[in-house]
Amino acid sequence: MAQRIPAHRRSKKTFYEIIEPWLFLLPALAVFIIFLYYPFFKTIHLSTYLTDRNGVAKVFYGLKNYQDVLLGKYSGAFWNSMWVTIRFVFFVAFGSLLVGLTTSLLTTKKFPGRAFVSAIYAMPIAIASAAAAMSFKMIFHPSIGLVNRLAGTSTNWLNDPAWAFPIICVISIWLASGINFIFISAGLRNIPDELYESAAIDGAGYWRKQRHITLPSLSPTLFFQIIINIISAFQSFTQVRLLTSGGPNETTNVIVYSIYLDAFRNFRFGSAAARSIVLFIIIMIVTLLQFKAEGRSVHYQ
Amino acid sequence: MNGIHITRRQKNRLGALLRMGLNLPLVAIIILPLLYTFMMSGTPADQLYTRLFPNRMDFVSYAHVFTRTAIPRQILNSFVVAGSVTILQMITCSMAAFAFSFLRFRGRNLVFMIILATMMVPWEATIIANYLTVSGWGWLDTYHAMILPYACSAMGIFLLRQNFLTFAKELHEAAKLDGCSNWRFLVSIVIPLARPALGALGAYVFLQQWNQYLWPLLVTNSDKVRTVQIGISQLYDIDSEQIGLMMAGVVVVLVPSLSIFVVMQKQLINGLMAGAVKG
Repeated sequence: MAQRIPAHRRSKKTFYEIIEPWLFLLPALAVFIIFLYYPFFKTIHLSTYLTDRNGVAKVFYGLKNYQDVLLGKYSGAFWNSMWVTIRFVFFVAFGSLLVGLTTSLLTTKKFPGRAFVSAIYAMPIAIASAAAAMSFKMIFHPSIGLVNRLAGTSTNWLNDPAWAFPIICVISIWLASGINFIFISAGLRNIPDELYESAAIDGAGYWRKQRHITLPSLSPTLFFQIIINIISAFQSFTQVRLLTSGGPNETTNVIVYSIYLDAFRNFRFGSAAARSIVLFIIIMIVTLLQFKAEGRSVHYQ
Repeated sequence: MNGIHITRRQKNRLGALLRMGLNLPLVAIIILPLLYTFMMSGTPADQLYTRLFPNRMDFVSYAHVFTRTAIPRQILNSFVVAGSVTILQMITCSMAAFAFSFLRFRGRNLVFMIILATMMVPWEATIIANYLTVSGWGWLDTYHAMILPYACSAMGIFLLRQNFLTFAKELHEAAKLDGCSNWRFLVSIVIPLARPALGALGAYVFLQQWNQYLWPLLVTNSDKVRTVQIGISQLYDIDSEQIGLMMAGVVVVLVPSLSIFVVMQKQLINGLMAGAVKG
C-alpha cells in the first residue's frame, strides 16, 4: 500500500503538481529575469545606440560605439584605462595572494594567540571598501596624515602621479588579504599530515618541505584563488572613486571607474555600455580559464 | 631517550615563540589602519595638528556624529536595506533550492545551469541598464530600488541546495505519505534542519549589503534613504573638527560589520567558501 501511492501519483500528476515546482522558483526567477537577464541584454542593445541624457536609445549606431572605444575618438583614454587596470589587477591579484600565503603559512602550527592572529588576518573580509578608503585618506592626508607625520614631509600623496597608483594597490591588497588567507588556510589544512611526516623522516628541512610538498599540493588552491582575485580586482571601484577620482593624470582611472564616468557624468550610456561589454568579455575569458583549470585539478586528485 | 624528548619539547616551544615573533609585525600592519582610525576619532581637535599621539582622548566626535550629521538616519537605512535583502534572500533562495533538491520536474537541470550562469555576469554588465530601468519606474530614492535587485542570488541558491541535498530523501517521502504538503515540509522540516547553512548565508549577505557602495550611490539622492557607507564618505572635509567627526563615523559603521564578523566568523567563512566554489 505504502509503495503504491507514489507510483500512482507519478502516473497521474495533477495540474497543481505540475506547476508546483515553478511556484517555488517563481520569486528567484522573477528577480533574475528583471534584474539580471533583461539588463544584460539591454546593455548589449544599448551598446549599439547613441542615447540621450536619460539613457533612451535614440540613434542606431551599430558597432561604432565599440569602434570609438577601441580604435576611435575614445581609444586613447580607453587603452590608458586598460593599461592601468591590467597593472592594477596584476599587483592586487598577486600581492593579496602573497599576503594570504604568508599569513596562512605562519598560522598552520600552534602557538599561543593563534586564534586571535587568525581572526585578525581574516578580518578584512568584513571591512567595507568605503570605510577603508576614508581611513586611508587620513593616513595619507597632506598635512596631518600618519605617513607625513612619520616621514616629516607634507606630500599630497594621493595627488602625486608617482604615489596614487601604488597607494590604491596597497589598500586593495589589504582589503583582499582576508579572503586569500581564508581560502589558502583551508587549502593548507587539506594537505595530509603524513606527507610532512614522511618528508621529516627523510630529513627534509622547512624550506624543502614547503617546496616539495606544500607548493605542489596547494597549487590548485593558489590557481583558483588567483582567478578569484583577478575577477574581483577588475571590479574595484569604491577606493578609486573616494581616494583619487581616477587621477592624478588618469594614473588610477581603472576601466570600471571610466565606465562610471562615461555613463553617470557624461551621460554617454551607449559607449559606457560598449565598454561594459568589452570588460564582460575579458572577465568571461578569465572565468572560462578557471573552469578549465578546475577540470584539470579534479584529474589531479 | 629522555634527553631527546626534552630537547624536542624545547624545540617546539622555541618554534612557537618564533611563530609568535613572526606574526606580531604582520598583525600590527594589518590592524594599523583600524587602530589609527580609532585614535584619530578620539584625538581632541586642538591636538590634531600638533601631536602624532594625543595625550588624552575625548569622544565628543561620537556625540557629534549622532547629533549633527545624518549618520543615525543612514544607519537605520542601512539596517533596513541590508536586513530586508538578507531576509528576502533567505526566503527566495530556500524556495528555489528546495525545488532543485527535492522536487522532480522537467527542465530542472537546465534552469539550474541558467541560474548558476548568472554568477559569471559581473555587475558592470548590468548596472547601467538596471539604473535606467529603476529610474524609468520612478524608483530613485526609495528603499525598494536598493532591496529588490538583490532579493535573490545564485550563490545563495547554490549554497542551500548543496546543504538540502545532504538531507535524507526518505524524510520527504514519509512526510508526503502523512499528507504533508511541500510548503509545510519546507517550513517545518527543511528550514529548521538547514539553520547553520541559512546562518552562513544570512551573515554573508548582510555583510555584503552593509558594505555596498556603488548601487546605493547611484539610486539615492537624499539622506532620507541613503545608506551609511555613502554617508561617511561625504563627511570628509578639511576642517580640523570634521576629521574627528569623519573618523568617528568610520568607526561607527565598522562596529556592526566587525561585530558580525566576530560573532559569526565560522558561519561567514563557510558562506564565503560555498560562494566561491561556484558550479
